[in-house]
Amino acid sequence: MFRKVFLIVLAMTFVASAAFAGAKKVISIASDCTWPPMEFVNSDKEIVGFSVDLMKAAAKAGGYDIKISNTAWDGIFAGLKAGKYDAICSSVSINEKRKKAMNFTVPYFEVKQAVVVPKDSDAKDLSAFSGKPVGAQIGTTGYFAIKKAEGAVAKSYDEIGLAMEDLYNGRLSAVVCDDPIAANYALQNKQYATKLKIAFIVKSDNPEYYGVAVNKKNNEVLDLLNKGIEAVKKNGEYDRIKAKWFGK
Amino acid sequence: MADKVVKIDVTDGASIPKTGDGIISAWWVSFIGAISIIAYLVIAQPDPYKDILLFVPDGILVTFKVTIFSIMGALVLGLLTGLGRLSKNKLINLIASTYVEVVRGIPLLVQLFYIYYALGRFFTVPDTLSAIIAMSVCYGAYMGEVFRAGIESIDDGQTEASRSLGFNSRQTMFMVILPQAWRTILPPVGNEFIALLKDTSLVSIIAVADILRRGREFAAESFNYFETYTMIALLYLLITLILSRGVSYMEKRLSQYEK
Repeated sequence: MFRKVFLIVLAMTFVASAAFAGAKKVISIASDCTWPPMEFVNSDKEIVGFSVDLMKAAAKAGGYDIKISNTAWDGIFAGLKAGKYDAICSSVSINEKRKKAMNFTVPYFEVKQAVVVPKDSDAKDLSAFSGKPVGAQIGTTGYFAIKKAEGAVAKSYDEIGLAMEDLYNGRLSAVVCDDPIAANYALQNKQYATKLKIAFIVKSDNPEYYGVAVNKKNNEVLDLLNKGIEAVKKNGEYDRIKAKWFGK
Repeated sequence: MADKVVKIDVTDGASIPKTGDGIISAWWVSFIGAISIIAYLVIAQPDPYKDILLFVPDGILVTFKVTIFSIMGALVLGLLTGLGRLSKNKLINLIASTYVEVVRGIPLLVQLFYIYYALGRFFTVPDTLSAIIAMSVCYGAYMGEVFRAGIESIDDGQTEASRSLGFNSRQTMFMVILPQAWRTILPPVGNEFIALLKDTSLVSIIAVADILRRGREFAAESFNYFETYTMIALLYLLITLILSRGVSYMEKRLSQYEK
């Protein structure tokens, strides 16, 4: 009896999903929602943030549907390679190494690496942290920046929030991460704002942009996403979303 | 002292194959197999595999360090808890039982988070040390139960005999009961050692640069996920095999007292 019911439900699910698929293309997007204000989970357990709003607006403009799922950063690229989702929209900086492994949409946000330190620190550049522990999220541009800096002891964390907590508790000398996230933790978070500040922005020769990562072979999804993002940039929706999350 | 030791057949369980019988044993097959797979991979595809092998050695040292200090901590805590749970003193008994119940009921990962991040608000303990504390506290509770069971398995006659020979209760425990119980305790304790070693992979969550953390850093940078985790699995296997060899050597040394 139970097996029969189970089979019927299974069959109905297949039929239903097939019917929906005919209507509108659904692009499944993975996002590591621990990166406020770009993408995070709010107190109502909803996935929100700048990039989430942007993806929703782009889907509307481009004529497709999206499904965002919260995925841990560590392994997020492996999941894309394995085809578990169509795209990653999770503050992924476009760089040459990543370009070899995956395709990117047009850039949707310019980003710099900011260094967060305790308020009493007077560090002016990364060389000030020689021999001192500096934290960042594993596999991020911030972490690679620390590894490049001479002398600094790089420590990698699963989430940027854990690195910030360690900085707050005094185990780290600094944390390097994307500037909107640094601003969120060091300036917006009430508890951290009393003790932390943004010291400086890491100087870089070439500007860094976020893009949506898509599997190498999946050109259909790439074109759809590009179309949506371009449309949102043109019709002014992009500026509205940016103003909503970052002010003016 | 009692000259005839009561024989306990716990080590001779049919489900646990004895290692080291004959030349071909499961241990040698796994050990040589793992080494030859690593050697083959490094020679055939040095590009990712050799790089991974060169990237992780400091992680192996950290894993060893955490394992060895945690085992020592867990043994001490386990012995104290085991004795505490058998104590006639109601308060000591209650403390030991509560410790076992509480710690056994909280996942190790949560304990790690708690000791590192939550207590980090009040005490700043270095990361490796807090990993060792968390692992010792967690495994001490499990080992306490193993010690209790081992001590309880010794026949009451042993205690009665040694007390009637004039030993006090402490001498009875440390000179008569524990040496005999140790043989019963060792196989399950060896199991706990190996479980502990594998669970040290959890400490990568508090930014301790162990094998897993080093491997993940390599994978995150190079996107060679399959290759990295293959190598990490093989390395963990090799280390556990070495540890299990050590445990079975100790068992063998003890089994010479069997007759």
